[in-house]
Amino acid sequence: MRNEDLFKRLIDTKKRIIRPLLFLTVIPYLAFIYVIAFYPNYFSNMLLNSNVSIGIILGFLLIIVIWIVTLLYVYLANKHIEPIIKDLNN
Amino acid sequence: MLKFFTSSQSGDLNIVAIWMFLIFVAVTLYITFWAAKKTQSTNNFFTAGGNITGLQNGLAISGDFMSAASFLGISGLVFLSGFDGLIYSIGFLVGWPIILLLIAEPLRNLGKYGFSDVVSFRLDEKPVRILSAFGSLSTVILYLIAQMVGAGKLIEILFGLPYITAEIIVGILMILYVTFGGMLATTWVQIIKAILLLSGATIIAVLVLNQFDFSFNQFFDAAVNTHDNGAAIMAPGGLITDPVSAISLGLALMFGTAGLPHILMRFFTVSDAKQARRSVAFATGFIGYFYILTFIIGFGAIILVSNNPAYLSDSGNILGNNNMAAIHLAHAVGGNILLGFISAVAFATILAVVSGLTLAGASAISHDLYANVINKGANDKSQMVVSKIATIGLGLMAIILGIIFEEQNVAFMVGLAFAIAASTNFPILFLSIYWKRVTTRGVITGGSAGLISCIILVIFGPIVWVDILNNAQAIFPYKYPALFSMTITFFGIWFFSITDNSLKAAKEKALFENQYFRAQTGINKGLINH
Repeated sequence: MRNEDLFKRLIDTKKRIIRPLLFLTVIPYLAFIYVIAFYPNYFSNMLLNSNVSIGIILGFLLIIVIWIVTLLYVYLANKHIEPIIKDLNN
Repeated sequence: MLKFFTSSQSGDLNIVAIWMFLIFVAVTLYITFWAAKKTQSTNNFFTAGGNITGLQNGLAISGDFMSAASFLGISGLVFLSGFDGLIYSIGFLVGWPIILLLIAEPLRNLGKYGFSDVVSFRLDEKPVRILSAFGSLSTVILYLIAQMVGAGKLIEILFGLPYITAEIIVGILMILYVTFGGMLATTWVQIIKAILLLSGATIIAVLVLNQFDFSFNQFFDAAVNTHDNGAAIMAPGGLITDPVSAISLGLALMFGTAGLPHILMRFFTVSDAKQARRSVAFATGFIGYFYILTFIIGFGAIILVSNNPAYLSDSGNILGNNNMAAIHLAHAVGGNILLGFISAVAFATILAVVSGLTLAGASAISHDLYANVINKGANDKSQMVVSKIATIGLGLMAIILGIIFEEQNVAFMVGLAFAIAASTNFPILFLSIYWKRVTTRGVITGGSAGLISCIILVIFGPIVWVDILNNAQAIFPYKYPALFSMTITFFGIWFFSITDNSLKAAKEKALFENQYFRAQTGINKGLINH
């Protein structure tokens, strides 16, 4: 019985961590592709008086978001998921 | 092409490049010799003993992913059309959080050598392994042909070796690494190459940015002022012309990564799910950094290569082709020494990537087809022999196919490999991990339909039907089939699973709870204590 409760807690914890991170990855990416597909001109707007376009800035931001997602997941998994798995192992 | 060696650049190029390359070969063969002693069992052959650390595996994964084709291809694409190169980079990168969040841990917890172990965990082993092996082998072979042809052409240009000689050198070295050193040697070849490639690309990017005082404003201004298309290079351009293609390519890139067998098999070289997680985080960091470098290199080439007569043919085109942009840029900012270094790194990269691919192919043949279908219960020794024969066979096949496809347009093959990975390997892996009601019938029907539709749609699409077979109009109008073939796979698996009322299907569903428990925890027993 105890194991089942622990496992349920593990799954709930995982879902709470994974779902938002998955949204944080997939939604901006799909939005990026969506703009390229339907409003490509939007990305050609330049940032004030420079030759740096919004598309390029957002593209680089997306790379940073992807980095943050992976680092955050490893941090959260070590902090919240690993201890439950350890308990389950004992 | 001859001008490349004789006029603008002296023979020094060859000497630096050849020495660097010989050192690389000597070191990697020494590693292979060392690894051979530790590679005595099938398990060691395919998993390097499971003792690779997260950082090492992260480097090796990024090494598998950063092929010469992606280094030269993406920087070449940026050189040609600017922003569009970023679409590819981001698509390739976004696959990694998906792998991390959904695939890495269950894969490590359920599998032994490859993703087919996971799919066959509770399903009927024989048909499922045959399908997975087909999915893996078609991905691996397409990728391999593309790499071999690219390799031959590149080495021909950089080292002045005849195409066939280049194919044979690459093939034989790859066979040596994999046959004798297995996964351990392949992993270390991959790690060394990843470090070399990241260093080389960093040096080029720093030398380029140095010319603009590290100001991105000045840098992009110069690119816009140089390129024929002006400010248009900062926006989406010709790569994607319609919404369906955009979404289809986006899906193939995002989910294809999560279905590449040579990448997935890397998760078995680490000790547990925790290290598997760390691997992906490191790999994502390295790969993202690498794409930023290729972007800078592509733009750097626009400024420093595109109007420098030393790198242009008499008709004003870039020597070689667009994929040579990074190589020319290395020469422009770092002279013959950097050019030699980058050439040797490109050669090393090719060797490492084809080795990883061959190992994944050998795993599908010996572990899936031989040990679990053809000769079930085969002992470790015979499986090891089959693994080595498979490696040699795949290596020879790579050489021969590389030579046959020399004059063919093989660029579509990587795209097709990604499409198959996204439409067969990924869906069957993902659904068998997370969906309780999946059955053998569903996986086989849906997975095969996805695989076949992918191939058919590519053949009838613009790239093969029009560009290669010279027909006037494509039967299937889109270049990228993933949106359609993935839909077919998911729908097929869903439909043929939920309508499967057989006793076998009921048993498979009943096994889900235990599989799910093990997938999430790595604990090798069921959820007990009722």
